[in-house]
Order: sequence, then structure tokens, then C-alpha cells
Amino acid sequence: MARSPTNLVDEAGIALGNLTDAASGMFTPTLRLGVTGLSRAGKTIFITALIHNLLTQARMPAFAPMAEGRLIGAQLAEHPDKAIPRFAYEQHLEALTGSEPFWPESTRRISQIRLSLKYQSADWLGGMFGPSQLNLDIVDYPGEWLLDLPLLSLSFREWSDQALARAERPGAQNEAKPFLDALAKIDTSAEAREPDAETLASAFTLYLRDCRQDGKALSTLPPGRFLLPGDMEGSPALTFAPLHAPEGQVRKQSLYAMLERRFEAYKDVVVRPFFRDHFARLDRQIVLVDTLRALNAGSEAVADLETALTDILACFRAGSPNPIIRLVAKRIDRILFAATKADHLHHSSHDRLETILNRLLANAARRARFAGAETRSVALASIRATSEDVIEENGEELNTIIGTPQKGERLGDQTYDGKTEIALFPGDLPQDPDDAFGDTPINLNFLRFLPPQQYAKSEDGAIILPHIRLGRALDFLLGDRLK
Amino acid sequence: MRKPVARPTQQKQAETPVELRAPRAFTPPKDTGPIETFTETEFDVPIANPPRRKRHWLLRILAATFGILVSLALGLAAEALIRDLFDRYEWLGWAGLAVLGVFVLAVIVFIGREVRAVARLRKLDALRTRADKILESDKGSDGKHLVAELTSLYRQRADLARPRTQLEKDMRGLFDGADMINTAETNLMAPLDAKARALTSAAARRVAIVTAISPRALVDIAFVAYESFKLARAVAELYGVRPGLFGSWRLTGEILGHLAVTGGVALGDSVVQQLLGHGLAAKVSARLGEGLVNGLMTVRVGIAAMRVTRPLPFKALKQPLVMDFMADLAKIGTNETK
Repeated sequence: MARSPTNLVDEAGIALGNLTDAASGMFTPTLRLGVTGLSRAGKTIFITALIHNLLTQARMPAFAPMAEGRLIGAQLAEHPDKAIPRFAYEQHLEALTGSEPFWPESTRRISQIRLSLKYQSADWLGGMFGPSQLNLDIVDYPGEWLLDLPLLSLSFREWSDQALARAERPGAQNEAKPFLDALAKIDTSAEAREPDAETLASAFTLYLRDCRQDGKALSTLPPGRFLLPGDMEGSPALTFAPLHAPEGQVRKQSLYAMLERRFEAYKDVVVRPFFRDHFARLDRQIVLVDTLRALNAGSEAVADLETALTDILACFRAGSPNPIIRLVAKRIDRILFAATKADHLHHSSHDRLETILNRLLANAARRARFAGAETRSVALASIRATSEDVIEENGEELNTIIGTPQKGERLGDQTYDGKTEIALFPGDLPQDPDDAFGDTPINLNFLRFLPPQQYAKSEDGAIILPHIRLGRALDFLLGDRLK
Repeated sequence: MRKPVARPTQQKQAETPVELRAPRAFTPPKDTGPIETFTETEFDVPIANPPRRKRHWLLRILAATFGILVSLALGLAAEALIRDLFDRYEWLGWAGLAVLGVFVLAVIVFIGREVRAVARLRKLDALRTRADKILESDKGSDGKHLVAELTSLYRQRADLARPRTQLEKDMRGLFDGADMINTAETNLMAPLDAKARALTSAAARRVAIVTAISPRALVDIAFVAYESFKLARAVAELYGVRPGLFGSWRLTGEILGHLAVTGGVALGDSVVQQLLGHGLAAKVSARLGEGLVNGLMTVRVGIAAMRVTRPLPFKALKQPLVMDFMADLAKIGTNETK
């Protein structure tokens, strides 16, 4: 049976936090939006685009409060939690819109931001008191850390078994060999020695790093802090590795026992606070999935992505509780599954992309719906980097996208220099989503494109970030709270 | 694939003990593929439409033959008339012929316009049905087509110039049919809705006042009928059809049908009417009460006309309710120019 990711003390803290929220939110309610996604799924870009579009009142016809003219404005507000850095919206925007635009670097630390939205309520009760206000809290964090959440309900032995089974898969041979060799040399029931632990941990870290490269693009690679340690690098809680369970009694001084203690410490010191502070009290959730990268790498990566996401999403609390229970026990009542980077495909393929996403997240979605949450899926591009065209090739009409591939991207034997603009036909997505999981290789090649090189400006001089279905996503996530 | 074949069996040999066969497993002779299942997407959910009334075939023959006979008679009469005119004086005959030609031409133009009006009325209907379907299916290409048709419908309208440009701009960033329809509705329909509301409430006020001061019941019935007819035509014209004679006939029929269907649905509204008509207002003055009831009746005609002639269903914008017009109706008697 799966254990709960939290203990009793955590639960008390969460309930207390919810009560405080309810009390302070009497007049200005707060909506916590959980932006969930593994690394490179596009969390930072999504948050930046969301903030920018709301701040500049960009026209989003599909976002009802804006289309109906009820959204009066948005403003960045100070976050009540002073211990965590603010999301660097300005820097990210600068990176995207500077003279040489580039995608912001992958997130290395946690940050958060609060956005105050002012709107005119449409119903007569809400409209009576003039404009209402809603605070939107968003957290940005390295996607790698999300991989840790499933660990909370695993013991050292269970985790070791899973991790070693993954390392011993035939597909992972090249990457896992150094680690498995090192593991074979060390006697785990012998007296614990720090150098042994360090050797194992660094070999394991290397193996995880290699698996993440584009060729493999594997996702189920916990613990996440091994990939991105932040300021905890080298600390004992980060110096462990999966071990084969020894036969018989485990001595307290053995290496096995020591690493087991460290694993537990990792959970207590790193994972649980992260979960408790940022994910246990969410109202809405958007799950960003970089489906294209996994499809690029093949069916193994897709299946692996499915496992990772299903495990992670099991940790979140979905459901629609009644408003009284809500005071102490918050539940996520709307979850949006988004296949990001939809601009790397022609829009006629978006339907198929959504189908694949639905297949990928079928288990997670079913569980969420059973709990009472509303789910929807959408092919999304927070910032649209390409335009579309049709070209004729050997008498066949191909729906292509036009953009500038990043430096070093390859198609066939051509490597791009980051300056040439091309029209790309990335291949047809499979009509039957199961083909993406099967053994038959699918001939697809999605290239990574640079951000748009120039932007249109609105009447009041604000930069317009083009997007695909961002308005629709916002309408699902926020629309009903701005009624 | 082998066809099914049937052959007569051989006569059973008597007394052979029946051998029971043991269970066995074989590898299938060929790849059979997945077992066919019935998936939900195979259904094309039909949108319920009221069945069109069909006339009995006998009635149709009757009408057709009668029509032919009348046409023949008219033709004969015209021919006789022209011949007579020629018999009197030749120049009179030519003049008569010329007048007849102009008359026939006018009739043709008139019929052409009527046909066009009815066709446009039908088109609005079809657009609404299609928009309903697109809201369901969310198909981007269909949405784009529909919005293009809609803008071409309003191409000559000067008052919609700005919404049209805005819609064009908004459409560039949209990919989904439902979003397109909603955007078209908020852009194009909103100003038209506002005007339709103003027309309705003005008509309702006029009806209420006339009813309150009219000396005879017959007069206000006539006035209600006249105002309702005028209102329906005005609303239809607003949404893009100049109904013409037969178009108006059809429109009236549709509105009456609509009122008959929704009569029982708008329960909350009816209660208001009851209260006002027989209770509150009647206590103040019986004539005023009747006036308000007639005014509300006109409002319902206006709303029905909106529903029947609006080329998009009410989705992003709210459909006006009778309640919404109460405030306007309450203003009768006060000086509105203030």
C-alpha cells in the first residue's frame, strides 16, 4: 500500500496554513496556481508569458474576463513569504525580448511571485461592492526536484529495487555500467566508509545525468537534487545511492544502514518541506509536458515520461471538497494538462498531440476525475516562436512551420548555426496514440527553435508575446474565479 | 476471406457413442488484429431540430393544381385583355403590352427579393445550427469558415466596421472553433444585441402606454399585434435580414412557435407577469396593470425574435430575460428625455 507523502505534523501545519489563508483571504482571496512540469517542460516561460500578458492587458480573446472587458488590471504585488526570492520576471522578459533573444536558462533555484488581479464581478452580488481583487500566487522551481515527490511514499529498500531495476534495463546499459561496476566492487554489509559512499553517489549521479541527455531523454530519475543540488551539494543527505538489499540482519554500522539513514534524511530535510510548503496547498494546477522531446527520443522515453508523471501527480491532492472542509483541507479542483511547445508543430497536428498527451496522462487524469477534480488537456505554446506555411514537395503538400533552429540542432546530416530560418516538416504524429508507446519507430524530428526575433507592439507600446492557446489555458485555470 | 457455405449433413448413423472433446489450444492461423470495440467517438451526436411540418400529399396536389388553374386563368385574362385592346386601337394594344411587361418584370423582381429574404432567413438559421455544432466539436477550420461567412454577411454594415476589424485581429491568434465562435459573438453580436434590446424596450413602452390609455380593448389588441410585427421585422433587419412579405410571414410563424415552446419554460418570468398584471399594478390601476402585461408580452416577442434571427447562439453573452426589461418598463410616465 502506498504511504501518504506527509506525516501527522505536516498535516497539522498544512491545515493551520489553510485556516490562516481562509482568514486573510476573506476580503482578497488568494489562488495558488501550481505550475507542474519536469525540467525543460517550459514552466519559466509559461509563468513569464502569463505575467506579461496579464500585466500588459494583452488581448486574449479566449480568456473570457478579458474578452468581456471585466479584467481591470494586474499588478505585481509583494509576496507575504519573505524568505524565498522573487521570480525574476523582468530578467526573463529581458532575455526573451533583448537584441539577441534567447530562452532563459533552466531554473536552478526556487522563486515565487504574487500577482494582484482587479476585476469587475459580473454577478449582482459581487458587482455591488465595485471591483474585486484576487491574488495569484505562483512558484517556479527546478523541474528536477519534482521527481522527488514520489520518494516520500517509498522506503529505501523499495526505492533501491526500483532504481536498480531501471539501471539494469538493457536500454540503459551504456550509462549505467560505471555505476553498476562500482556497486559490484563494494560490500554493502561491511563497515561504512565515507569514501565508498562518495564513490557510489558520484557514479550514480553521473548515470542519472547521462540518462537525461537528448538521445535518451529519460524522465524517471530520482532523486532530483542529484541532478540539481543547489546549495546542498556534497552534504551527507545527498551522498547515497541505491543498494542491493543484504541478506539477513543489517548491522547498524554497515554501509547499507548508513545510506538508508541518509535516504530518510533526504526525504525529511529536502523533499518533505518542499512538498509541504509549495504543493500541499494548491487550488489549481497546470501540468506542463514536453511531449515532443520524448517523442523525439522514442517510445522508451515516452513510456518513461508516463511513469514519471503518473507517480508525481499521485502526490497532489485533487478533489472538490465542500467550502467548509476547504477551510482546513485544500484540494486542487481543476487540473489542466498542457502539451507545451505546440508551436513546434503545424496547428493541424495539435489534435493528435492532444490525443497523445491524453494517452500519456490517462491514469493521472482518471484518478483526478475520480477525486472530483475537473481536467482538460490542451496543446499550448506560451510563447510562439514559429509561423506556419505550406510547401510543395514531390507533388505533396506539406504543412510546415517556419522558424530559426537553435545553434547545434540537427536534422539528418545538416547542423544549424542558429542564424538560418527554415521551413520544417517534422513528420506526422501517429494517428493512434498507442503507436507512440509501441516498438515501431516513428520517424519524427522536432527541432528546438529560437524565440521570436522581433515582436509586435500594442498601442501603448507594450511588447506582445505571441502564444498558442494561452488564453484558453488561463480561462480554464482562472476564469471561474474572476466571474 | 471465405464465404459462408451450407451443406446438407449426412444422415446420422445410429448408435454411435458421442465422443466428448477435450479442451485444446492452438496458435491462430493468422494475425486477427484487435477485437473490434465500439468507441464513443463513432457517434455523431445529432442536434435536435423540431421536425418540419409536412403537408399531406393530397393537400399538396390540391394546392398545386389550384395554383396552376389560377395561373392559367390569369394568363388567359391577360391575353384576352391585350387582344381586346389591340382590337380597339393598335396603339392602345401596344401600350397595354408595355404596361403588362413592366408589371411582369416587377412581379419577377418582387418574387426574387422575397426568395432572397427567405433564403437569408434560412441562412441565419443554418449558421446558428452550425455554430452550435462547432461549439461542440471545437474544429478550427469549421470555425474559420463560419466566421468568414458571418463577416461577409455584415460586410456592408457601417456600424460594425470597428468590431469587424477587431474580430479579424483576434482571429489571427485563435486555433479552436469554440474560441472563434465566442470571439465572433462578443465582437459582432454585442452591439447588435444592445440595439435589439433598445428596440424591444421602446416597443414595450409604447405598447404599455397605448394600452393604458386606449378606450377599447380591441384597439390595444390591434396595437400590440402591430407593434409586435414591427418589432420582429426591425430585429430581423438588425441581425441581417430584410424579411419582405413572405419572410415576415415565416418569421411570425417561427416567433409564435418559439413563444409557444418557451411559454412554459420561463417560469420565473411568468410569475413576475402574474404578480404585476393581476396583483400589484392592478391594485394601482387596472388599466396600468394591463398595460404592463401587454408591454411584457411585447418584450417576449422581442426576445423570441432575437433568438430566431440571431446568427449565433447565446453562449459567451447572456440572453436577455424579461426581467431585464422591467426597469425600462417601470419608466413609463416619467420624462425620458431627462
